Amino acid sequence: MVPSSDLVHLHLLLNHFPTVGMIVGFGVFLLALVKKSEDLKRGGLAVMFVIALLSLPTYMTGYSAQKAVRGMAGVSQGVVNLHQRSALMALIFMEATGVAAWYGLWHSRRRSALGTRNTAVVLLLGALTIGLMSSAANVGGEIRHPEILSSPETVAATEGLFAPRWLGSDFITTYQYSHPWAWKTLETIHFMGLCLLFGVVLVGNMRLLGWMRNASLEGFHRLLPWGVWGFVANSVTGMLFFIGQAFQYIDNAAFHWKILCILLAGADVLYLTWHDEVWDLGPGDSAPAMVKVLAASQIVLWIGVIYFGRMLPYLGNAF
Amino acid sequence: MGVLEWIQNLPLSTSIAESDSLWWGYAWWLFVHALGMGLTAGIGFILCLRLLGVGRQIPLSSFRVLFRLFWIGFYLNLLSGTLLFMTDATGIARVWELYAKLACLGVVLALMVRLRQFVDSDQSDGVIPPRITNMAYACIVLWLAVITSGRLIAYAVEANGAKL
Repeated sequence: MVPSSDLVHLHLLLNHFPTVGMIVGFGVFLLALVKKSEDLKRGGLAVMFVIALLSLPTYMTGYSAQKAVRGMAGVSQGVVNLHQRSALMALIFMEATGVAAWYGLWHSRRRSALGTRNTAVVLLLGALTIGLMSSAANVGGEIRHPEILSSPETVAATEGLFAPRWLGSDFITTYQYSHPWAWKTLETIHFMGLCLLFGVVLVGNMRLLGWMRNASLEGFHRLLPWGVWGFVANSVTGMLFFIGQAFQYIDNAAFHWKILCILLAGADVLYLTWHDEVWDLGPGDSAPAMVKVLAASQIVLWIGVIYFGRMLPYLGNAF
Repeated sequence: MGVLEWIQNLPLSTSIAESDSLWWGYAWWLFVHALGMGLTAGIGFILCLRLLGVGRQIPLSSFRVLFRLFWIGFYLNLLSGTLLFMTDATGIARVWELYAKLACLGVVLALMVRLRQFVDSDQSDGVIPPRITNMAYACIVLWLAVITSGRLIAYAVEANGAKL
């Protein structure tokens, strides 16, 4: 298990990435539009996808930081809660941007140029995400920097616009407890998403490992968005479990391993989406050794995600 | 209830129910069951999507080899499901969700066998007949029903006041 104090350090390290990284990724994407460079566009999309992945542990480690400053003199719990809610709002837009960025990368394999609609969606979501992330970061800074405290009017405006009450952990926890069907429904959707995602991972990577060799990779490429929809279903439901019971998860060893497996599998997905050598394989072609290693690691990592997900109540000290 | 109690009190059942081992206890078999579900329902979903036209560049005949994995997943689930049932036979046998799951599973397995016959046939790389696409739609719905009823078993047993 990662000690709580290290998770707080990790939060302080990671919390700069979503804001700065999005500005960099978005900037590269804008530059690509000006220069009309498809390669640069793909670079910008890849940066935004990576930042969307990194935003997940950034948000989750925030709860360890929250636990560490609880009851500390000079720390306003109201500001901490406001930071949590505004960070969640920013995270929702960040993950939507990440999905749109991945879709852009995936789509650019089918057509040489990125579609106008996808470009517009990435631009809109990216701009909104930068605004929301900056707002969340600003409120986060106020937790330990009273010299930059906003006026009460500004705080009230932030609450209403960027951090509504229903995004608070306490609201989500209460909702889950008072609606017994909520947790059951989320779990069922989580398992459905898992099956869809695992099916795509398994079939695509088995081809890369040499099974189903009479098929070109083109058809498997078309299956990838279904795997991503499975991942989206699992991310949304998984985050709702986490937010509802955050303090049960943050110090759980199985949870740390599960998130690590997801991040590594996400990096694998980026490599496999990005590299031409993967998708140029025709019927009968064998994948390069490096790609086979990554394909095998994908399968192992997702089995790891299932293992550590099931072990949540049994490994570690939570639940 | 005599038989169910006898099953539940078998040394095998109690050793799993009472074991804290991560390689033999209840938690391990829950993982094996989830992995088996990922293999069977996961491959089931992808095969059905292909039959419905997603990834039509993949020749259906290339799916033949995947049925080996599908059946490995099924046998993993049969084994783990039986062992999990044995640990709380009196509680689990009492909930209707178990029988709904088994009924849906029976029908979807029968449909998967029919789909395999089509995939194994000489016509698999040609036009897909409407009866096969209808079966694919039915399979997707039934796999979703199997997953849903499977998840609800644990809650129903808990609600009945039995030990999970």
